[in-house]
Amino acid sequence: MSLLSIKDLSISFDTPRGMLEAVRHADLEVPAGTSVGIVGESGSGKTVMSRAAMGLLQGSNVHRSGTVVFDGHDLTAMTRVGVREYFGTGMAMIFQDPMTALNPVRRIGSQISEGLRVRLGMDKRKAMARSEELLTLVHIPDPGTTLHKFPYQLSGGMRQRVMIAIAIACEPKLLFADEPTTALDVTVQAQILQLLGDLRRDLGMSMVLVTHDLGVVAGNTDIVAVMYAGEIVEQAPTKSLFANMRMPYTEALLKSIPKMDMPSGKRLQVIEGRLPDPTDRPVGCGFAARCMYVQPKCHAEHPPLIHDGDGHLYRCWFPLGKK
Amino acid sequence: MRKFTIPTWCTIGWLGFVIFLAIFGSLLPFRPWEYVYEDSLGVAPFSPGHLLGTDTNGYDLLSSVVNGARLSLFISITAVGIGGFIGAILGITAAYVRGKLDTVMVTLFNVALSVPNLVLALALVSVLATNIDVNNPVPTWRRVVVLTAALTIVLIPILGRIARAATLSWTNREFVVAARSMGMRDRNIIARHIVPNVLPALIAVGFLAIGVVIIAEASLSLLGVGVPDGASWGGMIARGRNDLEYSPHVLYVPLAFLALTVISTNHLGDVLRSSLDRRESKL
Repeated sequence: MSLLSIKDLSISFDTPRGMLEAVRHADLEVPAGTSVGIVGESGSGKTVMSRAAMGLLQGSNVHRSGTVVFDGHDLTAMTRVGVREYFGTGMAMIFQDPMTALNPVRRIGSQISEGLRVRLGMDKRKAMARSEELLTLVHIPDPGTTLHKFPYQLSGGMRQRVMIAIAIACEPKLLFADEPTTALDVTVQAQILQLLGDLRRDLGMSMVLVTHDLGVVAGNTDIVAVMYAGEIVEQAPTKSLFANMRMPYTEALLKSIPKMDMPSGKRLQVIEGRLPDPTDRPVGCGFAARCMYVQPKCHAEHPPLIHDGDGHLYRCWFPLGKK
Repeated sequence: MRKFTIPTWCTIGWLGFVIFLAIFGSLLPFRPWEYVYEDSLGVAPFSPGHLLGTDTNGYDLLSSVVNGARLSLFISITAVGIGGFIGAILGITAAYVRGKLDTVMVTLFNVALSVPNLVLALALVSVLATNIDVNNPVPTWRRVVVLTAALTIVLIPILGRIARAATLSWTNREFVVAARSMGMRDRNIIARHIVPNVLPALIAVGFLAIGVVIIAEASLSLLGVGVPDGASWGGMIARGRNDLEYSPHVLYVPLAFLALTVISTNHLGDVLRSSLDRRESKL
């Protein structure tokens, strides 16, 4: 059974310009013990989907439909207070920007131990001792001193480690990592990903890794879901996705990554155009306007999600590698 | 700790001095301010025995001003403290919860703010703490309580609105969402994440508000609904204006204390606010 199962999830926001559909009819399964990647360009709905899965979207302008079942419990049927029981201990989230996701006026130690004290009922001394252990676990040098520092005294990479320490404090079964490395430089990025992989193995966590970087996904996930314009357009086990991708969008994403062996002076291939207006989606395929292989049918009809065996799903009328 | 400039040290020193007078004034070797020096009426400042002189009734001005410091500071600090506390609770709750509660609260604040402060305070004091019968005046303590309460009520919407605005800018920060994603209760999030960030802004405005309240109290005294017997600084000014022609120092002494104190609280409020802006820009 899947640890997390998202069924027909749609999220839309009421905006002055009309209904903005951020996520449309998304289905996603996260089997226990696996790591699932969600890839897509900025604005494709990755972050909204992961936040919606955790019920972190609030406000009168947010409309949600579909179900999110975590560990056998339907979270969408619960109240705000009921869902809280699963936060921290069941699911936790690492946020995108380590600069804003820590409270600037409180010391690192009190921010880490907060979850331990509230969720696990530890007393102050015990929580602080555990916080120090957690900082050691995320490879922060001199954790004892770091506990008493303020966020501004730490570098971006260190803050991201602190964020991870906070998220794993209550040993969640499922960890959402929302672009955990986007704000960091490449060397630190590799360290953080390595760390997440190790922690996942040691603590037996499942992970949902949200990123725009296919390279990150390739080495760190078991299953990949590619999102475009609020929809999951291709989903497959990581290996088979890279081996035989069906969706032209996935291919275009992969082609636009700069390569070391590219001849110098050659222009980087980019995906022309931009995402369709989320308040006014096209009738046909959302990617049609930017697709290299576009056919008249793509503009006219919306492609359904096609199952291709081996858990490979795609949403395309004229998939690559198929006649 | 950042080094303060010389004017800032001066204002801190002055406020410290005034607070010292307010707290320990009664221990100083003065006769009570009501004591009438029959043989020295309207003596100029720096005369022997009367450092700041006396007024035309024979009251010692130094003693009066020390007593006035106690009243003026008590009224203003109490009003700002209670008003700020209630205002902060209302403002922070409204901004955190949003929705209907927020709309109702903002409307109430705006309605309260649309009534001129002084008129509202004047109305409250004159209804609650005056007596038509001249021979049977209301007791002083009641006047002081009602006066303080009136000024508190005036302050609640002013400080509440600021608390609400500050809270709004913090509730959507990532770390609040992060705290929620760890399963924190709303009251924990407010107490641990929102309040520590909102408080500095409120304290800065609170300092400005103390100055405003001292002035407001003085204005009410001038209008005749202040503390009876003219014991506060405002009351001294109200009494002293009759002496302006013959012994102007009777007016100038309380005026100087009041002006310096208000300038000090304003300056300190500004310093706090600008250091806050600098901290904000660092984030």
